[in-house]
Formats: sequence, structure tokens, C-alpha cells
Amino acid sequence: MDIAEGFRFHGDKIVNRWVEYTLSTYTSSGFFLKERDKFANPVGGNLREGLQKLFLLLSRDADPQEFTAPLEQIISIRAVQEFTPGQAVAPLNAVKHIVREAFAADKERQHLVGELYDFEFSVDLAVIAAFDIYMQYRERLYQVRIAEIKSGNHILTDSKCPSSMLDGDNKKIIKTVNGI
Amino acid sequence: MSVPKLEQLSQSVVQGPSLAAGAIPTRDWMDIPVKFTPGSYAYVAKKDKVEYLNSQSGLSFPNAREWSPEDDDWKLPEGWKEIILKGLQERLGKFRSLKIFMDCCVRCGACADKCHFFLGTGDPKNMPVLRAELLRSVYRNDFTLGGKILGKMVGAREMTVSVLKEWFMYSYQCTECRRCSVFCPYGIDTAEITMMLRELLHLVGIGINWILEPVSNSNRTGNHMGLQPHTFKDNVEFLVEDVESLTGVKPNISFNRKGAEILFITPSADVFAEPGLYTAMGYLLLFEAIGLDYTWSTYASEGGNFGLFTNNEAMKKLNAKMYAEAERLGVKYILGGECGHMWRVVHQYMDTMNGPADFLEKPVSPITGTVFENAASSKMVHISEFTADLIKHGKLKFDKSRNSHIKATFHDSCNPARAMGLIDEPRYVLDHVVDWVEMPENTIREQTFCCGSGTGLNTDEIMELRMRAGLPRANAVKYVHEKHGVNMLSCVCAIDRATLTSLNDYWTPEVGVCGVTELVANAIVQEDETRGELEEGLRTMVF
Ligand code: SF4
Ligand code: SF4
Repeated sequence: MDIAEGFRFHGDKIVNRWVEYTLSTYTSSGFFLKERDKFANPVGGNLREGLQKLFLLLSRDADPQEFTAPLEQIISIRAVQEFTPGQAVAPLNAVKHIVREAFAADKERQHLVGELYDFEFSVDLAVIAAFDIYMQYRERLYQVRIAEIKSGNHILTDSKCPSSMLDGDNKKIIKTVNGI
Repeated sequence: MSVPKLEQLSQSVVQGPSLAAGAIPTRDWMDIPVKFTPGSYAYVAKKDKVEYLNSQSGLSFPNAREWSPEDDDWKLPEGWKEIILKGLQERLGKFRSLKIFMDCCVRCGACADKCHFFLGTGDPKNMPVLRAELLRSVYRNDFTLGGKILGKMVGAREMTVSVLKEWFMYSYQCTECRRCSVFCPYGIDTAEITMMLRELLHLVGIGINWILEPVSNSNRTGNHMGLQPHTFKDNVEFLVEDVESLTGVKPNISFNRKGAEILFITPSADVFAEPGLYTAMGYLLLFEAIGLDYTWSTYASEGGNFGLFTNNEAMKKLNAKMYAEAERLGVKYILGGECGHMWRVVHQYMDTMNGPADFLEKPVSPITGTVFENAASSKMVHISEFTADLIKHGKLKFDKSRNSHIKATFHDSCNPARAMGLIDEPRYVLDHVVDWVEMPENTIREQTFCCGSGTGLNTDEIMELRMRAGLPRANAVKYVHEKHGVNMLSCVCAIDRATLTSLNDYWTPEVGVCGVTELVANAIVQEDETRGELEEGLRTMVF
């Protein structure tokens, strides 16, 4: 039995466990897990869809370029939730452990544990890509802020330019920078 | 070997996140205190704004001071607890609905997963039922016999500083969108509970600047931007010039004109900021095309009622101003532009606060003769119903192909959809002017998802919060973008035009935002116009 068969055989179980693990990082994971309508449950729905797609790619040693779409689906959401960057990305890593656990518990496929090098390398690449995507989305968020301020939607006449709010602190910042 | 590693992974990354997003609560929700960190709260109202508002007749905004939610000491006034409890008692007597909402929830949970703040954060305190419990627990403790005797066992708790802080956190993570109320078998409107929480907080000087500054501007100059009459006039005149250079037609306009048949009021953002500007240009073109006898007012220069987000006194005062101006000018009735909360106030509260507006006439369309019976008491007609009626009677000539570069979808703004039932009129209008598709069923009409930034939460210091609260809306937009190639999100609300722009810029930058009247005006064919050469339509040329 080769590793591709192993991934096919245990695929659903692995993805479910991965989704469960990822959603357990939310306080109300029960609802996020249970509701399958993507529009009634956008966090659960998108994370599930993204992880499903990503798992297929990882398990068939796909071109890492292809990771981008499912990673964006997952990370764009986690980048605006109250996670540290590490917390936002970490659940991706979990799939390594979940796969090992699934193979190790299966007598017929135990030997596949030794053949996971390529798969785990793909996961590493995905995690690295996820950090880049995380940063892209954070940058986009800052651009959104700037665009909003520039659009005039933000202006309340006697408010000053937002940068002026820094005024008081500026001197302090400059001092720190100059080491005074 | 792998299982312990997985646990280790969880421990090393999931430890110590804030309540809102990571930790699995092992304690009762009541025991988990809120924590204010940058980005988790909107900036508090500036001292001078609060002082100014407090000095105005009919308004009360006490305890102006410098303070920060991140400080332990919120500098509450002496006897703050009594002030809050007395305030609650007064409101229980004054608003029958509040008393009912406090008593009749059976905690069935039907509303729990319907709030976009909950869906975006997973924070249980953003379940509408728990949001209401924040107030209900105090109500039980001090105003019910069971609560007095049994206390925590029946979900009662004492009013403390930490409860007050929780109120502030979660009454400003509710956009008063009323989606939850659609699903409640008892019709409990959590939005009104949030309104009460915010009212009570104002009694002790807790409020945010993005709301109180617009209220103070509206009180002072008539619009939330604080534009003075001449600036407001200049801006509309600029738009007239733009329309003329784009179409060759110069719309006739007038300001504060006594004896005009109709007073037109729209959110001031429409005459000042993108993309609302294009909607305002749309109004100008539309009214010109039908030769409407109407006037703008430089005093009632704001439709949006930011008072709604503070307390009923401020809401009443700002609403009254529109009617006072209509009376002063001697118009027959008011035509209102594309706005959200203006319509909620007009439709739900105006009559009992300031109405009935007997000095105005029952609205009749001067072009079609249609009598707007639905507005018989409020004397205010929505631009979408007005336009739909014009179309129905064949009074407008369209060239739909002018919008052929657009594949639109329609966002039901919470207030028009759920607070006044304006659902089919904008759709009827869209059918005639643009190619468009609906978003999924459970995200539109009465079940529409909020933009995530309503009720004065569209301030940029809480951008992440806005993006996650707007996710359910954005998720549906993304779906129709991917499936049908939608590139424009149309709506009938000025706040939406601003907030959905930011929301799309983050989630689906390929999709723009526009007002329905922008699309209408783009398709209108008029005599003597010179825009035949424009291939890409009005908006595209402006870009
Ligand atoms: S009114 Fe809207 S924002 Fe407030 S609790 Fe209900 S669904 Fe949530
Ligand atoms: S749906 Fe109504 S009755 Fe049920 S928990 Fe929510 S507010 Fe209470």
C-alpha cells in the first residue's frame, strides 16, 4: 500500500480532525464546527473548504504556487481576528501530527509513517507561504485604513489630520530613536 | 508520539490569547472580565465635544473628562451606580418594550448564531442573547423578586465597575442591525437593548468620539461633517458642474427656497465623500429629468441621525430639525435620499417623538399623481419608492446599456430592510437599469447581514473588528463575484457606501460600491444631453 492510497483512505478523517483542531482555536468552536452552511457560518465554512483543498494539494505533492488560493481563504480571516501571527498560522502545522497519528494507529499503514518526508516538506512550504500571506493581508488592512482616511468619509471638520494625534508622542518617539 | 506533540503545539500557540478569539472558556461568562487593548475599542469622546453637547438645550451628556478605557480608573462620577440603576428604573417605566424584552426571553438560543459579530469573532458575549443578558442580569438583581432572593442562581448579578466595562465593550460591538430579532420567536429586539445600554452609559459619561462628534456637529451646523451652510452649498454646486461637464445637462438647484413643493434631505456624506458623491450627482440628474420642484436645505443638511446611537433625546432633537425646516420653508412634504438610520428614525420613532407632522401634506408624486399612503403620517417618501413609481408609470427613459460595464448585486442595508420594509422597491429599480444578481438567500432581504460598521462604528481604530464583523456580508459578496462576475455592490445607505468600500477593499477589492440612484442616473436618457460618446458610463469616466 503506497502513501497516496494512505492519504485517500484516511483523507476525510484527517481533514475532519484538522478542521476540528483549527476551529478549536475559537471560543465558540461548537457552532463553527456544526453549521455546514457557508453563508450562515463563514468562519467554519471557509476554514473547512480551505483546509480540504489544501490537504488535497499537500498530499499529492502539488506545486506550492497552488497553495495560495486555499491559504488566502484561511489566512485572510485569521489575519483580522484576535490572534498573534503565530496563532493565526499554527493550526496549519497540525496536519503533520494528525497524519502521523492516523497512520500510526492503522496496522496496515503503519509503515507509511516513515515515508512522510515529502508531505511534511510541503506542509513546511505551506506554513512559510502562510506567513507571507498573513503579512500581505495585514498590509492590505493598513491600505484600507489609509484609503478610508483619504476618501473624506472619515473627516469630521474640526478633527485634525490623524497624524496630528501623534504630535504629543512624537517628541517622545524622536527622543527614544535618538537615544536621548 | 504524535498526540503529545499536537498538544504541545496547542499549548505553545493557543495559550493566553484574549477572550474574543482563543481561549476555551472554563469559567462562567459572567466571571470573565473584559480587557481593553488598542484596537478593541473605539476612541472615547473628546472632552470639549461632551461639554458642548451637555450645554445644549434638550440634551444631557454629563461627566466630560479625559479618560481611557485602558485605564483602571474610568473617572466615574460620584454615585455612578445609583445613577445607572435609577436610569434603568426610569427607562423600564418609560419604554414598555424594554420591560417586555427584559422579562420574556426564554433563552431558546434561536438568535445566538445570527449576529455578524458572533459569526466573525466566535465570542459568546456577542451572541445576542448574552448581549442582552449583560443588562438583564442587572435587571434581575435589582428589579425582580427572584433575583433579589436567589441572585446568581437565576442569572442575577450586582452592578459593578467590571459589569459597566463589559457593557461598554459589547454595546459597541453591536451595530443595532436587528438581524437577531428576525429569528426571535418573541420578537425581542436586541438592538433596542443595546440602545438602552448606550443611553445608560452616557448617564455616567461613557461614549465614543465617532458618534458624539457627529452629533455635536449635527446640532451645531445641521450635518455630521460640521459643514457650514456656504460649504454645503459650494459642494452641491461643484456636483452640478460635474454633472454638466459629464452630460451636457445643467441641473437646476436651489437652497432654502420657500414655497418649493418638496424638501430633499440626504446624508451629508453624499455631497462630500466618494463614492456617495456619484449618488448625489444621480439625484441631481434624476430630479432634472423629471423637472421636480424641490429645494435643498443648508440647515437640514443631514439625513443621518447620529442621535439614534446615543440616546432618545439627541435622536429626537436631530430628527425634529428636519421637520422644523420643512415647516419653515412651507414645503408639502419631504423626499429622503438613500440613507440607513434616517429611515429607521423616521419610520419607527418619529411619529411618537415629534409627529404627527400635520403641518405637511400627505405626499403625492407631482409627476405620477401617486399618493404615498405609507408615508401619510411621517410625510417623508423614500427616493427608491419615488423612483420605482416613476418607472412604473413610464416617466423615465433608460438606456440600460450605459451600465453594461457593471454586473451588480444588491446589499439590503439593515435599516431600510428591517426597520422600514423597503425591500422590493430598490430591486424593481435595479431591474430596469442594470444587469444584476442576488446574493445567497440567507444573506439578503430581512436576513441581510450588516456591513459590520453601522451605528457609528465606522472608525478606523477598530478596523480589524469591522473587518471580522463584516465577514458574513463580504463572504456573500465574494461568492457572487466568483460565481457571476459581480463587480459592483449597490445599496441605499450612505454609511454603507463608505463602510462597504473598506470592507470590499479588504475582502474583495475587485468589487466597487455604488448607490442605486447612481445607476439610475447613469442610464437616464435626457434631451439635449451630450454624453453619447461616453462608452463606459458616468462613474468610469470620473475614475
Ligand atoms: S442587533 Fe445586530 S449586531 Fe446587535 S446583537 Fe442583534 S444581530 Fe448582533
Ligand atoms: S431568540 Fe429571543 S427568546 Fe430566544 S434566546 Fe434569543 S432573545 Fe431569547
